[in-house]
Amino acid sequence: MRALLLPVSVAALLALGALALFTALQPAVAPTRVEQAARLATELRCPDCAGLSVAQSTTSSAATIRAEINAQLAAGATPDEVRRHFVQRYGEWILLSPTSPIAWLLPIGLLLAACVGLAAWLLRWRSPAPAAAAPVAAAELRRVRDEAEALDA
Amino acid sequence: MRMLRWLILPLLVIPLSWVLLTGFSVNPNEVPSALIGKPMPSFSLQTLSGETLDSADLAGRPVMVNFWASWCGPCVTEHPLLLDAQRRYGDRLAIVGVIYQDSTDAARAFLDKHGDGGYPDAVDEGSRLALDFGVTGPPETYFIDSSGVVRAKQFGPLDAPALQTKLAMIGVSE
Repeated sequence: MRALLLPVSVAALLALGALALFTALQPAVAPTRVEQAARLATELRCPDCAGLSVAQSTTSSAATIRAEINAQLAAGATPDEVRRHFVQRYGEWILLSPTSPIAWLLPIGLLLAACVGLAAWLLRWRSPAPAAAAPVAAAELRRVRDEAEALDA
Repeated sequence: MRMLRWLILPLLVIPLSWVLLTGFSVNPNEVPSALIGKPMPSFSLQTLSGETLDSADLAGRPVMVNFWASWCGPCVTEHPLLLDAQRRYGDRLAIVGVIYQDSTDAARAFLDKHGDGGYPDAVDEGSRLALDFGVTGPPETYFIDSSGVVRAKQFGPLDAPALQTKLAMIGVSE
C-alpha cells in the first residue's frame, strides 16, 4: 500500500500540472460588455440593503448603480475604472470582497498556525516521556525477596 | 517553556479585549464617508417648489445637505432640529434637503405635517445625487465648508450636540 503512495502522488501532480498548462494555453475569450456589467453588479454592494449585491437587489439605488455601470462601460470605461468610480464615493465598503491581501492571508496563516500547534500537542500527547522508575528502598527489596523465598520453600 | 505559558494568557486576552471593546463601541452599520476632505459633488436639481437648485449657487457659503424621506421614521425625529437650524443660522448657512427615494406628493405631505423650514428640498430622480454622496440610507447629513469641501457626515438622525459639533467644523456657530 505504502509502495503505491509515491507513484500515485507523482501521477496526481503530473495530472494537475497538465490541467494547469491546458487551462493556461486556452485562448482567452474577452468578456462581453453585458458579462462585464453582470460581474461588476455582483461585486458591488447595494448601499441600502443588508449584505446584498447590486445584482441581487431590487431597490432604486441598486437599479441606479446597475444603470450607471452600463452607462460607464458603454462610454468606454474599463471595469477597474467603474469600480474606482464607486469606491471614490462609498470607500472600499462598496466592494463585497476585500481588496487587502491581509484579509485573505490572515485566516490561512491562523489556520496553519493552529494546525502546527495541534500537531505539536498531539505528538507530545502520543509519546509521553518515560516515567523514571521510583527508587525502591533496600529494606522493601529485602522484604519482597524474603516473602518470595518463603513461598518457594 | 514556563515563561511562554505565562505570556500566552496576556497575548490572547489583551488583543481579544481590545477587539471586543472597540468593536462594541462602534455602530457596525455606519459607513465612514469617502468624501471627507473632498469637494462636494456638483448637482443641478429641481426643488419641490419647481425651481432649479444648482450647487454652483451655493459657492462661498457653508452648506448642510440633508437626505431624507417621508417613510423614514428617524427623519421625523430630527426634523425639528433642521427647522431650528434654519431659524438660527439661515442667514449664514445654506440648508438643502434632498428627497431620497420618495414621491414628491409624500414629501410635500411630510412638510405640511411636520413643518416646512423654507429651505429648498431637491428631488433626486433615480437617487443619482445620493449615489454621488455615497448615501446608504436616510437620514444622512453632509457638512460642507464655504470653500466647497465636505468636512463631516452624520450617519442617522442628528441630535443637538452632533449638529453643534459638525456645524462648528464648517465654521458655523452661535
